[in-house]
Amino acid sequence: MSNGGGKTGRHLEKPSTWKRKSGADDFAQAIAKIAVAQLLESQGFHSFQQSALEALSDVAVRYASSIGRSAHYYANLAGRTESNAFDVIQGLEDLVYVQGFSGASDVDHCLEDSGAVREIVQYVNEVEPIPFVHPVPRFPIVKDRELTPSFSRKGKVPPAEHIPAWLPAFPDPQTYSLDSTVDARGADPHAANGKFEQERENDKGDRSLLSSQQQMVSGMFENPTFADPDDAKAKKASVEGNPFLAPPLKVGEKEVAPIAPPTKLFNNVAFDNPVARNFLDDKSVSVLETFAPAIEAMKSTSCDSGEDQTTRVLNENPRVRFKIGVGNKFLGRSTGLSPEKEHQRTLPWFAMEDEKDDRKRRAEKILRESLENPDQLVQL
Amino acid sequence: MNPNHNPQSSDGGRHDDDAALTEFLASLMDYTPTIPDELVEHYLAKSGFQSPDLRLTRLVAVATQKFVAEVAGDALQVYCRHCKARQATIPKDKRDRQQKDKRLVLTMEDLTKALHDYGVNVRHQEYFADSPSTGMDPATRDE
Repeated sequence: MSNGGGKTGRHLEKPSTWKRKSGADDFAQAIAKIAVAQLLESQGFHSFQQSALEALSDVAVRYASSIGRSAHYYANLAGRTESNAFDVIQGLEDLVYVQGFSGASDVDHCLEDSGAVREIVQYVNEVEPIPFVHPVPRFPIVKDRELTPSFSRKGKVPPAEHIPAWLPAFPDPQTYSLDSTVDARGADPHAANGKFEQERENDKGDRSLLSSQQQMVSGMFENPTFADPDDAKAKKASVEGNPFLAPPLKVGEKEVAPIAPPTKLFNNVAFDNPVARNFLDDKSVSVLETFAPAIEAMKSTSCDSGEDQTTRVLNENPRVRFKIGVGNKFLGRSTGLSPEKEHQRTLPWFAMEDEKDDRKRRAEKILRESLENPDQLVQL
Repeated sequence: MNPNHNPQSSDGGRHDDDAALTEFLASLMDYTPTIPDELVEHYLAKSGFQSPDLRLTRLVAVATQKFVAEVAGDALQVYCRHCKARQATIPKDKRDRQQKDKRLVLTMEDLTKALHDYGVNVRHQEYFADSPSTGMDPATRDE
């Protein structure tokens, strides 16, 4: 729930409405909940479940919106933009049809003696009015935007001929100048870094706040000559105390514990992977090198130069488990950058042709691991 | 906005209805609906309804109020029926204790049943996932 404001039930698009998370309607929904709670209390309920209250207030809101929508529709149907009482009654009847009212079956009935209206009249006559507990302001509040005054309004002449006088005036040059003219107090506020340019839209109150901020910041980077030396000290102290305004640390200023990379593991693994580089893409070198079956044993002689590179690469990267998928070739049908690949289907004759024992052991271990995992070939 | 005046003057009944409606709309200004005008106006404006006449917003507010009151009444009836059914199965001594601290609580269960009669299907997320309907998208629909 909690997004029911305004959404009428007729053509409800389920997924999109439930994903909406904006809080724009929260105020109206809260008021609706209070009103509905008051009504429930008048009926005799002592308390309600939170979700039930939300659901009911949501439904009530949709009810009202639905009447409005139908009324609007009927007005448009009659060629008007403003709805009148009969549009509202027709809209109301559309909703009350579900419950049924007397005279509903009479298609040509006059709207004035509509059963729906009569029921409402009855309700009004019987029930005591319960006013809403809180005073409700008019909402949504429309904010008055203070627009930048134009040249003509300011009484200035536009600096160049091509600029008409009715355009907004340029901001004061002091607001965006980078000189820090700190002579007089009056000029201080605008002795600025270029960062504070948005003063254009601010009124005087904000300007003074920004100016004090600017003073503090400018006090950091330059040495201003304030008229009041005590003030300067105080401001400098406050600036130095603020960690966010402190200058950044240089390299080597602060002691940082060094990180020892684990080397041994990678060195071992590297020997297994003088990968069949012929089969690789350029991008996937680092990926495949961490995991490979025993075929490289054959290619080891040709790939000795590659080993150094692989060790270096592996030292930099932390250990990641990659599974390499294969088509018909031994290796190398990898999808480049994706970290998860299925391990290849190993061919038994590799093991037999192995020359070095420890490589063979490691290769077999890798093969075993691959067989444990589900066999799925990766198609490029 | 004045309702349309019927050109046929022979039918006096119509004029009476006319008058009745006008009177009613006028009386609405005395009756303060629980749902505040500003709220109703906000949602009507959202749905495109445009009218400078305050009586119409009051009419919509009163209609909504009546709807909510009716739903609440039905929910209360459902609850009372449940209570009676539950009480029949409890032995007498516990029943006396229960009657002292009886609090009427509007639950989602009762509300769903009450709203069902009005064509509104409310399905809420189950807290315990032990029913076959758990995990389905909740939907609130007006028909």
